[in-house]
Amino acid sequence: MRWRRVLGALVLVALLAGAGTALVRSTGPAGRPDPVEAVAASLRCPACQGESVVDSRSPIAASMRQVVADQVAQGRSPDEIRRWFVQRYGEEVLADPPARGVFLLLWAVPVLVLLGVGYAAVRTARSRGGPATCPPAAAGPAGSGPPGRTARRAWWAASLGLVATMASVAVAARQLDRPAPAAPADPVAVAVRLAQDLEQQQRYAAAAQMYGEALRDRPDDALRLRLAFALLRSGDAAGAERTSRDVLTRSPDSPDGLLVLGLAQRGTRPADAPGTLRQFLAVAPEHPAAVEIRRLLAGAPPTVGGTPTPRPAGATG
Amino acid sequence: MSRSGIPRPWWRRPPVAAALTLALAVGAALALRPTSDPATGDAASGPAPALAGTTLDGGRFDLADARGQVVLVNVFASWCGPCRDELPLLAEAERRWSDRGVRLVGLDVRDGPEAVRALLKETGTTGLVVLPDPDGTRSVDWGVRGVPETFVVDRQGRIVARQRGVVTARWLEQQVTPLLGAA
Repeated sequence: MRWRRVLGALVLVALLAGAGTALVRSTGPAGRPDPVEAVAASLRCPACQGESVVDSRSPIAASMRQVVADQVAQGRSPDEIRRWFVQRYGEEVLADPPARGVFLLLWAVPVLVLLGVGYAAVRTARSRGGPATCPPAAAGPAGSGPPGRTARRAWWAASLGLVATMASVAVAARQLDRPAPAAPADPVAVAVRLAQDLEQQQRYAAAAQMYGEALRDRPDDALRLRLAFALLRSGDAAGAERTSRDVLTRSPDSPDGLLVLGLAQRGTRPADAPGTLRQFLAVAPEHPAAVEIRRLLAGAPPTVGGTPTPRPAGATG
Repeated sequence: MSRSGIPRPWWRRPPVAAALTLALAVGAALALRPTSDPATGDAASGPAPALAGTTLDGGRFDLADARGQVVLVNVFASWCGPCRDELPLLAEAERRWSDRGVRLVGLDVRDGPEAVRALLKETGTTGLVVLPDPDGTRSVDWGVRGVPETFVVDRQGRIVARQRGVVTARWLEQQVTPLLGAA
C-alpha cells in the first residue's frame, strides 16, 4: 500500500509543478528589457491574426513600432502609450486584455486546490498515525476504517480539483492568445494568401501582381505556376506563356506548366496549343483538368466548373 | 460518517467539495472568455485627428483648413494592388462633387515619392493631393489597420464613415451624398 501512496504523491507533485509552470508562463511577463519592445509586445497587430506588433512584419505593425519608439522617446509611460493605442484601435489592440475580477479566479482555484491537498494530506497522516493521534473510534484494523476512506476521498477530490485547475489554466492561456514568438509572419505566405483571396474575387491582375511580389522574395516554381495561372486568367496570355516556359525549362514534364503553356498558346500561337495540351494529357492523364482539356481538344465548348482549368478566352459565364 | 461521529457540514463532504471545485474552475474558464465586443472597437465617428504637412508636389495641406468641406481621406500605397484599382474611382468622385465642396486627399503610407508618382501617372490621377507618410505614423494616429482604408470627414471635421478595404461607387454615394446638402 505504501508504494501506491508514494506514487500518488509523486503524480500530484508533478501535476502541481505543471500547473505552476503553466500559470507562471501564461501570466508572467515575457522578460523583454527594451521598453519599446515591451510595449510593442503588449500590442496586437491589427492587420494580422494572433501576432503582436513586435513580431509582425506587416507595414502597419512596423509603423506602430515606430509610434511606440517615438512616444517612449518623448518620455511617455507604457500605460499612456497603450491608452493612446486603445483610443485609436479599441481594447482589442491589447495583447493581454485588462485584468478583470475573473482573473482572480485563476489564482483562487489553485489556492483552493492546494488547501484541499493539504487537508487530504493531514487526513492521511492522521489515519496512519498511532492511537496517540487517532481517536479510539477510528482505530480500525489495517487502516481500512472510515478515516482511511475519508482520506482517500479527500485525495480524490483534491486530484479532481487539480485536473480542473490544469484545464482552466489551459483554456485561459489559449484565450489570452499570446502570440507565439517562434513564428514570425512570413511575408511570402501573406502575399500568397492575399493573392488567393484576390483570385477568389476574380481580380486576377491584382492577384498576379501579389504572386509577383511573393516571387521576388522566394523564387519558387509552384509560385511561378500560380502566377502563370493568374496571368492567364487576367488575359495576359504572353505573360502566362513566358512564366510557364520559365518553369518548363527546369522541369519539362511539369503538368501544370504544360497546361498553362498550352492554354496561353491558344492566345499567342494557336497552332502550337494542341500539341502542348496533348503533351499535358500524356504526362498527367489523371489531372483534374484533363477531362476539360480533352473536351477542348475535341472541339466541344468548355464547361466552367470547379476544376482548376483557367477559363479560355472567349468563353462566357 | 465523520471520525468523531458528528456529521460534517454538507460542503465538507468530498464529492460536494470536488463538484464545487470543478464548478469554480469551469466558471473561471467561462468567465475568462474574451468579452470585448468587436463592434465597439474603433468608432467610425468622432473628431478627425490632425492631418497636416507638405504634399508630394511641395504644397501644404492641413485638414483644419478644410473645415466646411467634406474630405475623403484615402490611405493608400503604391505597393498595394487594390489601392491602384480604387484610386480612379475616388478621383472621379472628387471631380464629380468638387463644386459641392468635396475634396480628396491621399495619405501615402510607407512609400517612395517616385513609386507613388508612377502610380498616379499610371492610374491617371496626377492631380491628387498626396500627403506622404513615409514611416506610417500618421496612419497609426488615424487608427489605420491596413491599406486601402478610406475615411469620410464631414464639414465639421468629424469622421463620419470609414471603409476598410476597397471603396465602391455605391459606398461613396451612400456616405457622401447625405453630406452634400449641409454646406
